[in-house]
Amino acid sequence: MTMTLETEPSKLPLHEEHLLKGARMGDFGGWLVPLFYTSIMEEHTAVRTKAGLFDISHMGEFLVEGPGALSYLEKNLPRRITPVKFSQAIYMPLVNDQGGMVDDIIVYRMAEQKFLIIVNAGNIAKDFAWFNARVPRDVTVTDMSEDMGLLALQGPLSQTILLECFGAFYKDLRRFHYKDFEGGVIARTGYTGEDGYEIMIPKTKLKQVWDILFRVGEKHGLLPIGFGARDTLRLEAAMPLYGHELNDEITPLEAALEWAIDLTKHEFPGSTILKNQKLKGVQKKRIGLEMTERGIPRQSFEIQKNGKTIGSVTSGSFIPTTGKNIGMAYVKTAEAIAGNTIDVMIREKPVKAIVVSLPFYKRSQS
Amino acid sequence: MNFPENLRYTKTHEWISVQGAKAKVGVTEYAQKEISDVVFVELPKLGTAVQQAKTAAVVESVKAAFDIYAPVSGKITDANKALESNPGLINQSPYADGWLFELEVSNASELNSLLTAAQYLEAVEQAPKH
Repeated sequence: MTMTLETEPSKLPLHEEHLLKGARMGDFGGWLVPLFYTSIMEEHTAVRTKAGLFDISHMGEFLVEGPGALSYLEKNLPRRITPVKFSQAIYMPLVNDQGGMVDDIIVYRMAEQKFLIIVNAGNIAKDFAWFNARVPRDVTVTDMSEDMGLLALQGPLSQTILLECFGAFYKDLRRFHYKDFEGGVIARTGYTGEDGYEIMIPKTKLKQVWDILFRVGEKHGLLPIGFGARDTLRLEAAMPLYGHELNDEITPLEAALEWAIDLTKHEFPGSTILKNQKLKGVQKKRIGLEMTERGIPRQSFEIQKNGKTIGSVTSGSFIPTTGKNIGMAYVKTAEAIAGNTIDVMIREKPVKAIVVSLPFYKRSQS
Repeated sequence: MNFPENLRYTKTHEWISVQGAKAKVGVTEYAQKEISDVVFVELPKLGTAVQQAKTAAVVESVKAAFDIYAPVSGKITDANKALESNPGLINQSPYADGWLFELEVSNASELNSLLTAAQYLEAVEQAPKH
């Protein structure tokens, strides 16, 4: 067995708290993060049945403000921003001039001309350059990533825990809406397929919030959740991960993110190419797959049909709650049909799988 | 951590238990902890010739696949099929129920290159800490 050596990654603001809770730390895109505390199996299950708390302070935050902020974002983002209300957030890909995805982001409208944008940690520098390359003189884009921390409280009991900690003020918070909280926000968003909240606050207040959530959450079964379970949860919910399902060459249409762009709005970067692609149809498509023979699909494994390459795996894992081996992949559009039998090449051998519709997991509505 | 005295070890965290011409192979307690929950095992086919320090089996956690190397060269004579339905045996019992495969040693002199329990412990203590 071989193991990889670590370089010098950045530490999370709550690094010591993670060690106190027994975390196994590991590298994630240049950050030293908790991979798991007890086990991925246990943590995945906790989020599906009770509640879990994630430290995702590695994520980036930009503030976009100034008299021209609205028109600047309206011109450069692929969804309509004007209808987004002050208490609302909206998910979308950031599209380059070729129609590929620079990142996927959440835009919070804080005021008429003030927006907060959450970006992926690994893309902070690239996104900041992208925003600044297009910014007019009456708008400023500030990278707040160094100052802000982000926690995610996820799972069916997350509302109970949140209200017990911070009061009924947050009771009527609807999905993709937020309210002010301690110099930041609490938003009803997440990356697990469960009900839940993301709490963005200055790093100086992070430990206090972490502590109170555990003090109250403990009796409800709240567990700290590492990046291992974060990945199995988002995979099961079929949420794309940048660097896996999304990159600079893949378009939102190929990624099945047409719902997160608006081709009826005026021009935005890549819009002409995307409209054209929509007319002609995409060559490849994001699919879900489930192994029917023994094997776990992993990123970059080739997919074949009758001995011919038809695509490759972008994410794959064993799923703790179902025991299934599942993955997401891009395959030629003609093969992207639910029920289609395909071969995943695992260590040079074809292993059977079927194409399934996404998501793999959908929570029951309460 | 427990590294039984009667076994020999590799720097890549396999153990081998020699009984006459045959030997059983598994992964160490240190390895099972590093891998965390084992959820999948790919065993070598009976009769396969394996080479010292070359991949003979694969053990996978939720997150990653780990190659398991043959501590010495030989021919596979048995494999622990129980692992296919219960891969967690590797975590629960790395030196007994969690064994991986058995082989017929083809070159007994290769055994001299393996580590004793004390030497392996020293190697593990020098490994980077998480």
